[in-house]
Amino acid sequence: MVHLVSDSPSTTHAALDGTTVRRWIRESADVFSSQRDYLTQLDAAIGDADHGINMDRGFSAAVVDLDAVDGSAPGELLTRVGSTLVYRVGGAAGPLFGGCFRQVGSALGTAETFDAEDLLKALRAGLDAIQGLGAAVEGDKTIVDAFVPALQAFERDLRAGRDVGHAAHRAAEAAKEGSRETIPLQARKGRASYLGPRSVGHQDPGATSTALLFATLAKAVDEQP
Amino acid sequence: MSATGERRGTIQSVDRAARILKALGSGSSRLGVTEVADRLGLAKGTVYGLLRTLEAQELVEQDPESGKYRLGPAMLQLGNAFLDNHELRGRSLLWADSLASRVGEAVRVGVLHGPNVLIVHHVFRPDNSVQILEVGASIPWHACALGKAIVAYLGEDERAALVRHDLAPLTGRTVVDPERLHLALTTVVHDGLALEDQEAIVGEAEIAAAVFDHRGYPAGAVGVVGPVERLVPEGKTSAALSAAVRETARGLSRDMGAGRVAARG
Repeated sequence: MVHLVSDSPSTTHAALDGTTVRRWIRESADVFSSQRDYLTQLDAAIGDADHGINMDRGFSAAVVDLDAVDGSAPGELLTRVGSTLVYRVGGAAGPLFGGCFRQVGSALGTAETFDAEDLLKALRAGLDAIQGLGAAVEGDKTIVDAFVPALQAFERDLRAGRDVGHAAHRAAEAAKEGSRETIPLQARKGRASYLGPRSVGHQDPGATSTALLFATLAKAVDEQP
Repeated sequence: MSATGERRGTIQSVDRAARILKALGSGSSRLGVTEVADRLGLAKGTVYGLLRTLEAQELVEQDPESGKYRLGPAMLQLGNAFLDNHELRGRSLLWADSLASRVGEAVRVGVLHGPNVLIVHHVFRPDNSVQILEVGASIPWHACALGKAIVAYLGEDERAALVRHDLAPLTGRTVVDPERLHLALTTVVHDGLALEDQEAIVGEAEIAAAVFDHRGYPAGAVGVVGPVERLVPEGKTSAALSAAVRETARGLSRDMGAGRVAARG
């Protein structure tokens, strides 16, 4: 895959800020709106057939909420997004993604800008929130199967001296790959686990949504002026 | 089941045919003769003969395009026959319907099957939302209220065998510690009601009560399942909801032939 991203070190990359966050959430809302039926279809095979509808509703609400406030501290914006998602998404995805965004926001604190290392640390806190709630580990056929490889790829790329835009794209690719790798797995968490071996052969909707969120993050970071 | 798991007194070919059906029933993919043979460690010729026999009985069918095998239409009839002949399910149909409309939430009826609760009846939440039928789903007993409601009333030996040390968490809130589980089961007997708060699925809670048969043995359980914020607002379940579940279980127990003493709660 070709990236239109420079190989400049992260120090020369424009700082990430509230605008980046707003762009991320708006991009996400667009993606969940266009992928709503696809996600719901994935969920119908092994879940409650409402995942796409729920994520679409939650992110639309998050955009409306962000548009109504003036704040620019990225951490505070993301905490708001998390609360909106908890309240509006419902199902298991609400507390999981909502709890994740809240922790990402809280890890970024009240600063006006953040860099690649801050983002890595914050995303790790988000993953911790998800694992705390869901007790899922890699291979359980959940969000974690996309999230963990994404973080690993992100960190690896940063350590290799690439900039945050490049690393975010690597993370998005790894998350997508991780979500596809849930297909042959038997679910050990969530409603899909009720199906036992019948959950094999279906892609996990939560992992798929996670991959979409890493893709929109990469896009938001990439479009940084 | 292992590939060489034939037990004394069983018929090898029937055992193999059953294993083929189970293999076709797991996952969503269709399987070719070679795949089945590899999976079960059997010769291709043997598998082919078994598949043809099962096909003649419509228990499996062959996809005309790929030549692969999948479960056949007779399996649905067998599955339905199992449900139709299930006494607790049959008797619970009306009770579950009226409980669902009384509380406005989904209702499930389950029985203990090994260490899991097998859902034998499921009434959707009456709000016209899209929901997926969970009949046939298998949930670890320790992670759902149905399971706790049943296991609390089992004999001491049976209960001790189920409160094992290697129970797996389904969420960060699943109670797996044997001490705490024993305590939870004592509470179930005291309250005549089992509560599960996001122990099976994040964001979901269940309130259930055991259903007893004529011997006073827990035949299964009936419960209300739904979003935690509606079922257990601020960590507590409403008296109305608890009463509705208890009354349903009591009525269902009477229908199952339980005496006054056995229809506890």
